[in-house]
Amino acid sequence: MENLLKYIVSRFFQWLIVVFVGITVIFIVPRFTPMDPIQTTLNRVTAYSYIDPDAINKMIETLKDLYGLKGTIFQQYVNFWKHLLLGDLGPSLSLFPTSVMDVIRTSLPWTIGLLAVSTFLSWVTGILLGTLAEYFSNRKWSQVLGTLVMCIYPVPYYIIALILVLLFAYIIPIFPLVGGAAIGLKPALSLNFIASLIKHGFLPALSLMIGSVGWIFLSQRSLTSRLVSSDFITFAETAALPRKKILSYLIRNSMLPQITDLALQLGSIFSGALITELVFSYPGMGYILYSAILQADFNLIMGISIFSIIGVSTAALALDIIYPFLDPRIRYK
Amino acid sequence: MKKIGLVLLLAIFISTGVILQGIAQQLPPGIPREETLIIDQIFRYSIVNNFNLWVSGVPNPTRQSLAFDTLWYVDQQTGKWINSLAKSAPIYNKDFTELTIKLRDGIYWSDGVKFTADDVVFTIQNIKDHPGMLWHEQFNLYVDKVSKTDNFTVVIKLKRPNSRFHYLFTTRYNACYIQPKHIWEKVSDPLKFTFYPPVTLGQYVLKDSDPAGYWELYERRTDWQRTSAGIITRKAGPKYVLTIFYGPNEKKVGAMIQHQLDLLMDLDIEAFQTLLKRNSYARSWYKDFPWAWRDELDIRYYGFNLEKAPYNIKDVRWALALALDVVKLNAEYIGGVTRVTPIPQPATPFHMKYFHKPLKTWLRNLRIEVEKGKYFKPFDESVPERLATWAKSQGYPVAGDLEDLFGIGWWKYAPDVSERLLVKHGFKRDKDGKWLLPDGKPWKITIIAAPDEVDVFRLAIGAADQWKKFGIDVDIESLERTPYYTRQNMGDFICTSSWGMAAGSGASAVIDKWPYAYFLHSRYYKPTGELQTTGNYLRIKSAKVDELIDKMEAMPPTDPKNVAIVRDWLKLCTEEMFAIPTLSFKKFVTFDTYYWTNFPTAENPYGQPCYWFMGGKFVLPYITSTGRK
Repeated sequence: MENLLKYIVSRFFQWLIVVFVGITVIFIVPRFTPMDPIQTTLNRVTAYSYIDPDAINKMIETLKDLYGLKGTIFQQYVNFWKHLLLGDLGPSLSLFPTSVMDVIRTSLPWTIGLLAVSTFLSWVTGILLGTLAEYFSNRKWSQVLGTLVMCIYPVPYYIIALILVLLFAYIIPIFPLVGGAAIGLKPALSLNFIASLIKHGFLPALSLMIGSVGWIFLSQRSLTSRLVSSDFITFAETAALPRKKILSYLIRNSMLPQITDLALQLGSIFSGALITELVFSYPGMGYILYSAILQADFNLIMGISIFSIIGVSTAALALDIIYPFLDPRIRYK
Repeated sequence: MKKIGLVLLLAIFISTGVILQGIAQQLPPGIPREETLIIDQIFRYSIVNNFNLWVSGVPNPTRQSLAFDTLWYVDQQTGKWINSLAKSAPIYNKDFTELTIKLRDGIYWSDGVKFTADDVVFTIQNIKDHPGMLWHEQFNLYVDKVSKTDNFTVVIKLKRPNSRFHYLFTTRYNACYIQPKHIWEKVSDPLKFTFYPPVTLGQYVLKDSDPAGYWELYERRTDWQRTSAGIITRKAGPKYVLTIFYGPNEKKVGAMIQHQLDLLMDLDIEAFQTLLKRNSYARSWYKDFPWAWRDELDIRYYGFNLEKAPYNIKDVRWALALALDVVKLNAEYIGGVTRVTPIPQPATPFHMKYFHKPLKTWLRNLRIEVEKGKYFKPFDESVPERLATWAKSQGYPVAGDLEDLFGIGWWKYAPDVSERLLVKHGFKRDKDGKWLLPDGKPWKITIIAAPDEVDVFRLAIGAADQWKKFGIDVDIESLERTPYYTRQNMGDFICTSSWGMAAGSGASAVIDKWPYAYFLHSRYYKPTGELQTTGNYLRIKSAKVDELIDKMEAMPPTDPKNVAIVRDWLKLCTEEMFAIPTLSFKKFVTFDTYYWTNFPTAENPYGQPCYWFMGGKFVLPYITSTGRK
């Protein structure tokens, strides 16, 4: 127990350092790129009309003040931490004066809904199919499935996504072209809304799952292939244990790398899935992050990245803590 | 196993795709398709239900034409002046220190409150009082005092003489939107106020919107006659307008093929041609070649940092211009669908009338000194004819005046003359025929260009191909907009494939060019390496430029003498070749005439087709239903 406590405390400090360094890097990097959020705003608001140069100079000062870009980088950094510790990520610079939290709040549920579901379903499907395919590797369906996955898996994601859109939104138009739910339908806990959510999210989720299932299938098959010929499986088969039982042994013994993969994937969903969002016109964080980068919106880039940094590092922390529960061979040392 | 798999797959698709809410995209219940005009929203709104267009981060295209209003408009197609909320043109006193605005009586906000002078006075004062609001700096710079003399007359006392103050309320793309005093006077923080639901002065009110930002649904006001668009057009327009963002071009094309999109802003030529093949109801400005709307008030050009050698030499810039074949640039890279322009102004019917055609004789006689005492006349009037020949060879019908179709002409393709101009300044060719700079180093040009601005990027490729053929080592640096602008503003470039005002090329459908030239005055000049914020990123610095800008500034914008000064200005820009103007803007503003008709077209050019501009409000009411259901 003492070991466990020591381990958790030391891992927690590591987590703190990772988060601190990650956030510091994400604060510094955009400021050293050839991007200036004030110039971007000025370009936008002066594009079609004349503004007196004296007014432009005053506007620059006003924007610096409102955007929190006054003072040295160090002063800005200190101010940033002061606000962050109070849970304030500041205003989005490209969507000023809307707060970064409000922008994230609008898009994050869509991203979590789509990516968490598709990641989890891919994981379960990939592991089950991969294990079955390896255990029954002599069967014809297993060989067909293996060939199919080997053919589909290397196809670039955007090709798969475009094919799905073309097939099921244009040629056989049974799925919608745009959005997360039907036009005019308000978010509610109703069958109608949930059905619409599923319908709009189906193709994007399917596109994400195709590649993802392929990868998990192949890795699970590879992990299982070593276990199938191991002593404990041979012993279980000799002892005529039910196949279900043997399969569960196989899955449990190959779980560790897969759980690591799942946790890291779930931790990184906060960045969104840009290509999915663009191809399917599906709402989410990917497009928001992409526009934030294009428009030099430092605060929004930092806001989304902070979620990602915390998500991934927390997933890694959680994994380190729960590994021994999943695999008794691992000890807190 | 196989059968079970197939059945399962089929069941999943059928149940999710068809049983869940029928086939394809649907309008909300009670919104008939035949009463709904569906227009391209251009992009997804990252923030929703925020209609405070007086701050910089809130999206304004389409919304501003449907729901907002200001005092005056200039129609970008016809050049027609429109008194909107104002009853008459701006009235200045003799020394331009006081502006009187007469307002229309009979206009109402969508909540039934009457629009009066109080709203205009309040708007100016409110913006003046709150840093961070758009137009705040200008109002503080110019406005001494604003008051009303009666319910429909506003008087603005200016801090210093300014004959162009009314431009802040005169729309090209947008202008200062008027606020409803009865709403905004209760607001404690105008920057954070979302103005939702918006109380409108436009013909429409917001009916519904997507929490994810993909669409907004507007409904025509029952009292649409009590709006400026209603009073001026006397037409109601579609009952509903749905603005929707379908995503990339191929999805917009798909939506229009399925008649799920009636009007969109722009397509590349390949997407447009695909659409024409699949939807016989779709078209753009012209029914046939050249299809596109070519009257947007902007041009494409190659600009140089004029402080970097050898681009500081006028003859070098001319040499580069004469090494370009504009017919090939237009035909092979842009599809031959737009007009050429030798002067830094768009070749729209308005500008052709006042500038291009009247300057033709001057262009014809223009000479450049190729060698000491030897001159060359660079203007090539045969360009429209050559473009017509090319178009016919493609099987396109070519009808009407060739100058109106392709522009008045451009510079001769004369690489031999370019060679002489360069040799004059000490340039040489190496043994492989590649050009060497006067100091003997290989001549290399890097063109910066933003790939999302498709035409400038294609033109960058065109210039690179042609200048390479001429013997210069050319490459293209592709930059996203933000670093692209930063590089230009810092002067960190040699050549830019660009658009906009920096070449003296800015324009509205008015004669007055001062608003598009003033920033090239040397008083605002910043050397390379220092951030310039006003737009002179080519680093133009010239006493002749200053002199003409001073003349323009001294002239009230409506003074007819402006025409002569502006022509002198264009002559100077052309002679000096500060940048190489090539083509007028074009857009494939495209509409589907399945459900709706009477969009503005070449046959019926009653107004600007740019519905996303604020002035789109005076065009939408003309669009009528075909009666199809």
